[in-house]
Amino acid sequence: MIEYLFLLLGTVLMISGGLGVLRFPDVYTRLHASTKCDTGGAMSILIAVAIVSEAPMLIKVKFLILAFLIAMINPMVAHAIARGAHKSGIKPKGVIDVYARDGF
Amino acid sequence: MSRMPLYLKERIEEINQRALLFNYETNTLPKWEKVIITWIALAIFWMIVSVSIHWQNILIGAVVTFLVSLLMYDMFTSDIRRKGNVAIKALRIIFLYVPQYIFIMAFRLVESNLKVLKHAILMDINPGIVKIDSDLHSHTGLTILANSITLTPGTLTIDTVRGLDESKIYVHWIDVETLDREKAGAIIKGGLEDWLKNIFW
Repeated sequence: MIEYLFLLLGTVLMISGGLGVLRFPDVYTRLHASTKCDTGGAMSILIAVAIVSEAPMLIKVKFLILAFLIAMINPMVAHAIARGAHKSGIKPKGVIDVYARDGF
Repeated sequence: MSRMPLYLKERIEEINQRALLFNYETNTLPKWEKVIITWIALAIFWMIVSVSIHWQNILIGAVVTFLVSLLMYDMFTSDIRRKGNVAIKALRIIFLYVPQYIFIMAFRLVESNLKVLKHAILMDINPGIVKIDSDLHSHTGLTILANSITLTPGTLTIDTVRGLDESKIYVHWIDVETLDREKAGAIIKGGLEDWLKNIFW
């Protein structure tokens, strides 16, 4: 029963991430939506798959390794995209930009 | 301090830097502990990736991972803080610190996702890039802190500047509450930095 709960949570989070990517104004705020919601949604779907699959225990652990790798790699990719966008001259909308003021 | 001659000021700064470096050197783990920690981590990874639990498989894995850990012991473990007995510390890390971290981060991740949904529906955003200080100065500790900041609600790490005693993190904040560096650091980092200081430099 609990796997349906995880699957439903993952789907709702993925949809909210898509909604955020469509509605937010610039690159950096869109990265917020894509990074967090993809990480949470993919991790909860992987946990649901690990619970529901009829594999031996050591194979189920591989799904958890996959979830761990997603949680490690997604923030790094977001950092790389945000830094690359800032270096190529895309100005963030908003109240303050300390990163440009410090000369990066 | 303000009326001090310039050459004396430079000398004092140099001595401070050397004291920091000396402190850093004496607080890392000795070599055999680094080798054993790397060996155990690699052996666990071998067991998970190669599914079988036949004794030949385990023997081959032990020998190969020991050879690899003799070569690469400095890669992962040079950032771990040395404090107290190593066995007690390893038990505390495995049974206390890591479950605590997973528990905290799971709830904060779900909270940040729901916050993105709220911002996407209501569009009440006020974005900006702020700078906060950090007391960590190892590669691994700063990386884990930056990744955790990205996954907590409302913040996204853009860049880190690492230095002994002067690490800085640039954070894109979707709803800027304060521009003061200390207050912003306390809000953004939360309890994560104190947690990481137990393990890493």
